[in-house]
Amino acid sequence: MAAAIDGVLPATLQELVKKSKVLVVGAGGIGCEVLKNLVLSGFTDIEIIDLDTIDLSNLNRQFLFHREHVGKSKARVARESALSFNPDANITAYHDSVTSTDYGVNFFKKFDVVLSALDNRAARNHVNRMCLNADVPLIESGTSGYNGQVELIKRGLTQCYECTPKEKQRSFPGCTIRNTPSEPIHCIVWAKHLFNQLFGESVEDEDISPDAADPEAQEAAAEVKDPGAAGDAPDGLKEKETEPATANGNIVRINTRQWAKDCNYDAGKLFNKFFNEDINYLLRMSNLWKSRKAPVPVQWDTLLVDGAGSKGPELARQTHKIWSLEECAHVFANALKELSAAFLKLEGNDTLVWDKDDQPAMDFVAACANVRSHIFDIERKSRFEIKSMAGNIIPAIATTNAITAGISVLRAFSVLQAKWEQCKAVYARLRLNGRNQFLVPDAFFPAPNPNCYVCASDPAITLRIDTKRVQIKAFRDEVLIKTLNMVNPDVTVESTGSILISSEEGETECNEQKLLSDMNIVDGVILKCDDFFQSYELSIIISHFDAERDDVLFEVIADKNQLQPKEEKPEEPEAEPSSRKRAANGNDATDDGPSTSKRSRPTEVEDDDDDCLVVEDDDDAEEKVQESVEDTVAAATNKLTVDCPQKTATKRKPSKTLDDEDVEDITEILDSSDEEVVGPTKCKRTKLEETRAGEVINID
Amino acid sequence: MKMDVEEHAREAGVELTDAENELYDRQIRLWGLESQKRLRTANILISGLNGLGAEITKNIILSGVNLVKLHDDKLVTEEDFCSQFLASRESLGNNRAEASLTRARALNPMVDISADTQPLSEKNADFFGQFDVVVINGASNEELLRIDTICRELGIKFFATDVWGMFGFHYAGLQKHSYVENVIKYKVISKPNEKVKYETVSTPVQREVEYPSYSNWLEFNINAPNYQRKLKRDGPGIILLRVLQNFRSTYKRDPNYKTRLADIALLEQIRDELVPNSALSSDTLGLLFAQISPAVAVVGGVVAQEIIKVVTKMEAPHRNLFIFNPETCMGYVEQIGVH
Repeated sequence: MAAAIDGVLPATLQELVKKSKVLVVGAGGIGCEVLKNLVLSGFTDIEIIDLDTIDLSNLNRQFLFHREHVGKSKARVARESALSFNPDANITAYHDSVTSTDYGVNFFKKFDVVLSALDNRAARNHVNRMCLNADVPLIESGTSGYNGQVELIKRGLTQCYECTPKEKQRSFPGCTIRNTPSEPIHCIVWAKHLFNQLFGESVEDEDISPDAADPEAQEAAAEVKDPGAAGDAPDGLKEKETEPATANGNIVRINTRQWAKDCNYDAGKLFNKFFNEDINYLLRMSNLWKSRKAPVPVQWDTLLVDGAGSKGPELARQTHKIWSLEECAHVFANALKELSAAFLKLEGNDTLVWDKDDQPAMDFVAACANVRSHIFDIERKSRFEIKSMAGNIIPAIATTNAITAGISVLRAFSVLQAKWEQCKAVYARLRLNGRNQFLVPDAFFPAPNPNCYVCASDPAITLRIDTKRVQIKAFRDEVLIKTLNMVNPDVTVESTGSILISSEEGETECNEQKLLSDMNIVDGVILKCDDFFQSYELSIIISHFDAERDDVLFEVIADKNQLQPKEEKPEEPEAEPSSRKRAANGNDATDDGPSTSKRSRPTEVEDDDDDCLVVEDDDDAEEKVQESVEDTVAAATNKLTVDCPQKTATKRKPSKTLDDEDVEDITEILDSSDEEVVGPTKCKRTKLEETRAGEVINID
Repeated sequence: MKMDVEEHAREAGVELTDAENELYDRQIRLWGLESQKRLRTANILISGLNGLGAEITKNIILSGVNLVKLHDDKLVTEEDFCSQFLASRESLGNNRAEASLTRARALNPMVDISADTQPLSEKNADFFGQFDVVVINGASNEELLRIDTICRELGIKFFATDVWGMFGFHYAGLQKHSYVENVIKYKVISKPNEKVKYETVSTPVQREVEYPSYSNWLEFNINAPNYQRKLKRDGPGIILLRVLQNFRSTYKRDPNYKTRLADIALLEQIRDELVPNSALSSDTLGLLFAQISPAVAVVGGVVAQEIIKVVTKMEAPHRNLFIFNPETCMGYVEQIGVH
């Protein structure tokens, strides 16, 4: 309530604080801190929105919440707690999603400044667009471990949140997951898929059985094609092999779930099927093992001579221990029992939803991932570590959140006073840079990207897409909504004016199952997309390509200059450790390179992987610039819910039209809207990218 | 990972409970189990329960230390409501440390929290000796020097810190401090004819560093010719700290919002005497009243993170004078008396 006491703040600032209307988006780690700072500073007109409820693991940093609040609305409890700090404030709390159409441009226009403290990219993109359209300054913030950042986004002055391409989520080829895992994460992804095959929403691209169509295994696949010859084929394989459509390599897809049910979820039977029979099947694809270590199948009876006892629950609590194979089997049996019981209680077509915080679901994945790791001679991990990877948990601490939120509100002071020169982005780091700074303001505002597909005057993108394999529905859900973050798009074909996708329900439903090419959406066609809610218009130039097996089916190219055939997979950006950036402030986020490529925003920065490098500086002959390595690994899909069936970025062509085409089968690792999903934590760092460490995507 | 890292007998064999594992999950994922176990044994003194004291207290309690002593002989005033969120409105006129207890305890029931209201000047080595880390906030330079000296004799880690309005600092007196730092190196993992790929390898390295006493700051000459280039680069924050500490020892109080204009004039006078023609503007002198919540949150976050580094013996604590500039939001570290 500083502004309520004359003489505390300079008079102009005092008046602005008293009369300004502020929106806080997100009541998590940063949001709680921001709200406290706002009410204590004397802001009295505050609105806060968050759709989340309070979890026990929030309490180490989201200090407006206590144990008795677990399960309640974050926005509402935050409001109550903040009011106890300053009963004179007026706070409106919305327990809701900021992307809901209830909060349109007019809602955003009410505010003098918006402080965003979000935890996921989709909502950030959306708030970015709403603030650009409403012309309201947005102070965007995020933290990850010791790293934090605050930046102003203001139309016409700064880059927008989407001016720089996003880090792609790491994805794994289907055959790596199904046939030839080589890292723990491959086994974890497989285990999550197994969970979904048995209990979760059935997702086509999440097969867990051996992939006989693996090109590398072609000869081997031919050998076992005749079910008669493979007399010892696992139960589940037989039925499928009588179907001609096995060209897609999915051996037991639909039937795994039914088969498991028919077995009464017998732990031994299921265990042997997944970890013995299927592995034996893989072994017969001998091509795969010519240059790899062959997997070693394991057998339930030899592992647990006396069957699974009651050790499972106790073992499962030893989260930091690396379980032995036998212990994994115990945990597997116990988790299977609990999950199957829960599953059988569901009605109709309801399914379980994998959640890292659900004990048996997490136990199941930890146990299965470790058994599979053992089979393929991959390092086993503790349940604790697997939870990080499977749940995409970003570590979060109170201090970084407090520092970041403090800077965010100080920047709000400058914004309200229109002191724009004082609004440059700030980065919080664990270690000092070459100028002995660890709270590091940018030296200048990076210029907006003239090719930005959001804030440019006439935004356009080129979309490389396999028009012969992507349906209109997938184009809308995966490209427009999921990738380009539209909410409710209308699409017309520029040359003809015909409506391809309508935001009115049912109007273009007849097109949904058609392929783009069936609708004459082919190479060179320009589509006009319009999201009325976001007031966002975008031209999409279609660039057709024939996707190879294991290619993703589309790629957005914001900058036309980047439109070249790519050898590298998008998730494996070239390592460029030698590229040195001119960092004016010793700050790794400022750069003089093309604005399109370097200042990648969602860098999922982990810990503080700082390395000292020597560059020249204007006053000191040599200065160290901290360079962070970002962790490019983003782990497995989180929460495959029934409500959002479109979780994969690729759509397989319906099998009846397969013919002799190669079949694509990609496991895409995706972001989700859960609190911790935006980045990886304990994944093994394998890649070194350009210095993008200036950016942190939050978390909370 | 702990191969060549010293073992600490005190923490050995202590397992976290399920409740602790669950509550501290997100931070254990950052600093590891061993650090969390060390935090659990740490006893911290926080003296001066103004807004800054409240922020440090909050962060330290949330981190899961063993014990926090809230120490203050002052009473809650209206000014505290600018940032002291642990004291309720109703506690106006009560002792600040006692007024903070209820909310402080609610932050984390697993931490032992108590209050002490005896004046700081009456506190001696017996008192400070109970703690692993001592944080003093709002004290005079004479007091800070006295307590730093006691702490040096007892081997207790000492922090002096303050926020005036939006400007703040901390000084770390850690004597000989050893810690582990993870050094990251790159290893080429690609084959010769492939595109170059790297893997990062993190190696824990044990280091030991000496932290000079607080007297070094009192003796530090900001007008020394060889310091001027650095002063120009980092801005006048260090001059401002000197001006404010000078104000405190001259007038036995801090600048007060009730006498805002007069106090700005006094500050200008001290500034011009100390460092003629400095870059320290009068606008900046207008930002020094009460304690402004967001700035206190930054400084309190930094100090708490330093305490965590010290207790966990992980990563290098700032050596040794931290300055926060609220206008640029730059936070930097000046080495005082380090050779």
